[in-house]
Amino acid sequence: MNNEIPVQMIGPQGEVMAHAVDACVHCGFCLPACPTYALLGDEMDSPRGRIVLMKEVLEGSLPLADAAPHLDRCLGCQGCVTACPSGVPYGELITAFRGWSEPRRQRSPLDRAKRAAILKILPAPKVFSLAARVGQHTKPLAPVLPAALRAPLDLLPEQVPAMQPLPQVTRARGPRRGRVAFLAGCAQQALAPNFNAATLRVLARNGIEVVIPEGQGCCGAAALHTGARDEALRLVRQNLAAFHPDDYDAILSNAAGCGAGLKEYPAVLHGLPDEARARALAAKVQDISEFLAGLLRAGELEPFLPASRPLTVAYHDACHLAHAQGVRAAPRELLRAIPGVTVAEVPEGDLCCGSAGTYNLEQPELANSLGVRKARNILSTRPDLIASGNIGCHTQIQSHVRRAGSRVPVLHTVEVLDLAYRGEL
Amino acid sequence: MTPRKTALFPGSSAPLPRSASTPDNALATELTRRLGPHKVLSRLSERLNYRYDAIQFGATPLCVVLPESTADVVTAVRAARAAGVPIVGRGAASGLSGGAAPAQPSVVVSFTRMTRLEIFPERREARAQAGVVTLAVTERARPFGLIYPPDPASFRTSTIGGNLGENAGGPLCFKYGVSGDYVRALEWVDAEGEVHELTREAYDLAGLLIGSEGTLGLITEASLRLTPPPQFTRTLMASFADVGACAQAVSRAIATGAVPAKLEFMDQACVNAVEDFLRLGLPREAGALLLVDTDGDDLDTVEEERALVEAACLEAGGTVRRAVSDAESAALWQARRSVSPALGRIRPQRMNEDIVVPRSALAEVVREIRALGDASGLPLVQFGHIGDGNLHPNILFDPRRESPEAVHDLAHRIALVAIRHGGVLSGEHGIGTMKRPFMREAVDPLTLAAFRDVKRALDPAGALNPGKVLPDEEGEPHAHP
Repeated sequence: MNNEIPVQMIGPQGEVMAHAVDACVHCGFCLPACPTYALLGDEMDSPRGRIVLMKEVLEGSLPLADAAPHLDRCLGCQGCVTACPSGVPYGELITAFRGWSEPRRQRSPLDRAKRAAILKILPAPKVFSLAARVGQHTKPLAPVLPAALRAPLDLLPEQVPAMQPLPQVTRARGPRRGRVAFLAGCAQQALAPNFNAATLRVLARNGIEVVIPEGQGCCGAAALHTGARDEALRLVRQNLAAFHPDDYDAILSNAAGCGAGLKEYPAVLHGLPDEARARALAAKVQDISEFLAGLLRAGELEPFLPASRPLTVAYHDACHLAHAQGVRAAPRELLRAIPGVTVAEVPEGDLCCGSAGTYNLEQPELANSLGVRKARNILSTRPDLIASGNIGCHTQIQSHVRRAGSRVPVLHTVEVLDLAYRGEL
Repeated sequence: MTPRKTALFPGSSAPLPRSASTPDNALATELTRRLGPHKVLSRLSERLNYRYDAIQFGATPLCVVLPESTADVVTAVRAARAAGVPIVGRGAASGLSGGAAPAQPSVVVSFTRMTRLEIFPERREARAQAGVVTLAVTERARPFGLIYPPDPASFRTSTIGGNLGENAGGPLCFKYGVSGDYVRALEWVDAEGEVHELTREAYDLAGLLIGSEGTLGLITEASLRLTPPPQFTRTLMASFADVGACAQAVSRAIATGAVPAKLEFMDQACVNAVEDFLRLGLPREAGALLLVDTDGDDLDTVEEERALVEAACLEAGGTVRRAVSDAESAALWQARRSVSPALGRIRPQRMNEDIVVPRSALAEVVREIRALGDASGLPLVQFGHIGDGNLHPNILFDPRRESPEAVHDLAHRIALVAIRHGGVLSGEHGIGTMKRPFMREAVDPLTLAAFRDVKRALDPAGALNPGKVLPDEEGEPHAHP
C-alpha cells in the first residue's frame, strides 16, 4: 500500500510500521480470518482496514482518537498473519503502533488507573494470587458492580489454587539428555500452578534438566501489546540479562503468549543496541510442545501409558501458538501418541477464543461473544477432554464451557501428557 | 492533548483532518435517521475504509450503508437518488479491476451483513443473499452431497454478490463455467429503488446484470445451482521448453476429447518467482509449466483423460510428472496457489491483467508480451487459465521506484496485443476502471453505442457506479484512472 509515513521522525519502529504497510495490497484475504470482522462485518474492524487507519494516522491525515476505537478492538490474535498471502507482518505493525500511539492517547483517569493496575498485577504472581483471592470473595457482589470490574471477576475460576513454589533446578530422571531454561510465566503461576508442575515432571521424566533462571520476570508481552513500550523494554532487558542462550539446549515456555513474546524480542529491539542479543535468545525459544514433539520425532520420547478408555480430546489452537509461532502439528502429534486418544478438530478452529491477553478485560462484550462461539464450537465435537497450550485461552474456555453447562475437564496439553505418564488418564 | 495535535508531526504540511462524531452531511443524517446509526457509517475513519478494492484506491465515500435486508438497500438507493448522489455496491472488495472503488464521492452500499443462506437439496439449489461468502455455499451444501463449483482465487473472502457483479471465474471454469452459469434467479434493486425478481426465461435480464459491475442495478439475492462433487480427481504437471509447446499440448489434448477440470499455466518468470519463494524443486529452466486436473465419477474415464493429456504433452516435447497420491497432487498445486505471495516479494504492488485470447494465438501473445515486458524494464510474469486462453500478465512495481505512467503504458500495450490477436480485455475480473480506457479499442463503436443504450435504459441518471466499464463519451472530460 502506498504510504508517506514520515519514518525519519518516528525512528526504527517507524521503519517496522512503514514496511508492513508497504506490503499490504488490500486484497481482503485477511477478512475471513479476523474475529472482529466476523462479529461486526465492517472494514474498520478488519486487518486491512486497521492497516489503512494506522497509515492515515501516521501520515497525519486522520486523528488518532478517531482510529483508536477500531484499533483497540483488534485482539492481536494474528489470524490475519496466517491468512495473508503477501506476508504482511501485521503483528509487528500493531504492536509498534500501540507503542507509538499510547503516549499520545487521551484516556480518562479511571481508564488509566485500570490499565496501570492490570499491568502491575498481571505480571506479579504473588500480587495476582492475592488479588484473585480478594476477587473470589467479591464474586457474589458481581451483579451490582460496574462492567469494568465485573469482567475480571467473571473470569476467575471457582477455586483459586494455592501457589506452588518452583525449584530453581529440576534434575533429570535417569541419564541426563539435555538441559533447558524455563520461563515460569506470571498469571498462570497463580491461576494454574499445575501447568508448571506438570511441565517439570514431563521434562524430568524424559531426561531433561530444567533450570528456572533467577532474575527472570514477565516476558513483557502484555505491556508491549497494550502499548506500554517503556515497561515492556524494561522487562525485555531484564530477561535478556537473566537468560543466557548459550548455556541451554532450548529456552522453553508453556504459555503460547509468553513464548510468542520471547520470539518477538528482536522486533521490539529493532535498531537498538541489544538487537543481536535478542536474536540469539529468540533463536533458542521453543514452546514446550515443539520441544517434546522434537523428542517424539527422534524416537526419544518416553512412551505414554494408554488411556483407561478411548478418549476424544478437543485440541484448541491458541492464537499465539498457531498464528504467532506457527505451532500446530506438535501438540496434536503428542496427544495422538497417547494410546487411546483421538484428537478432534474444532470447527472455526482458527478463530480466537476472545481471551487475547488483556482483551477480555478491555473489550468484555466482544470477548464474551467470541468465548460463547468458541465454547459452542468445541462442545460440538463432543469431547471427553479439552486441551490447549495457553493460560489465557484456558481461563476463557473453561469459563464459557462451564457457563454452557458442561463439566468437561479443560487441561493444558502438558497436563494431559503428565496424566498419561502417571496412568491416570 | 487534542486529537488534532496528536495526529500531526511537527513540520508536517498535511492538511488538518476533520473529525466528525456526528454525520457531517445531510444525506448521512437522513440515512442515519431512517436506518439507525448501526447501519450507517459517516465518520471519516469509517468512510476512509470503503475507498478500495484489491487493486485500487478511489474517492472517499460520502457515507457507507451496511444493509441487513433488501428493504435497507431500497432505502439507501432512494435516499441517494433524492440527494443526487452516486451509488456504489460492494461485496468483500477483493476484486482486481477497481470495480468496487468509488470513482467519485458516493454512497457505498456494502453487502457484508446480508448473509442469509438457505440450501434446498431436493432441487439442488441455494438461495444466498448478496453478502454470503462464496466458499460458505459449498461448506453448507457439502453435507447434502452438493457443491457450488465457481472457484475464484478469493473464494474464502469474496461474496456471491461481488462474484455475480464481476461474473467471476476461477481455475475450474474451463469445465464447469463461471459464476453466471450457476444463476437460476436474481433479486435486484434498480436505480429507482424498485425490487425485481428475474429468472432466465424470456429476456435474459439476469444475464445482463451478471458482470455489469453494479452499473445497471444492485443484486441483493440469488438462487444458485448446486452440483454433486466429482468423486475422483487426478493431477499431472508438465514442463516445456517454451510456451508454444505448452499451448500446442493443450490444444491437442482438447482436440482428442479430454475435458480437464483445470488447465493452469505459469511462465518461466512466474516459476522462478515461486521457486525463489518456496524452493519446491520446480524446473527453473522450463519456459512454461502446465498443471492439469482431470475429474469425474468414473475413475477409468478420469485416468483415460489424464492419459490423453499426458500423451499430448509428450508429443509436444514436454516432460510429465503424474501425482501418485492426493498429497503429491496438493504439493504440485501449491506452486500455483503460491503465485500471489511469491509476486508480493518481488514488488509490493502489481497491475493484474486479465486478457483472453484464442488458444491458437497463445504462444505468439505470450512471446509478444514477454518482449514488451523486457523492453519496459518492469518485472513481468505471466500465468493463467490456459484452457480458456485466459492469461494474467502481471506487471510488478514499487511506486517509489517505478513510474505509474510506465506501468499503465505497459498495461495498455498488453491489452492491444490481446485485441490484435482477436482477444478480449477481461476473462473474469471485469473492466472496472483499470481496463476502461482500453474499451474504445476493444469494442467497436456500434456495440459500444448499444452498451450505452442499455445503461441509459436502466440507469438514466447515471447514478450506479459511475466511471466504470464504459469509457467517457466524446466531449466529456476524460477521467484517467
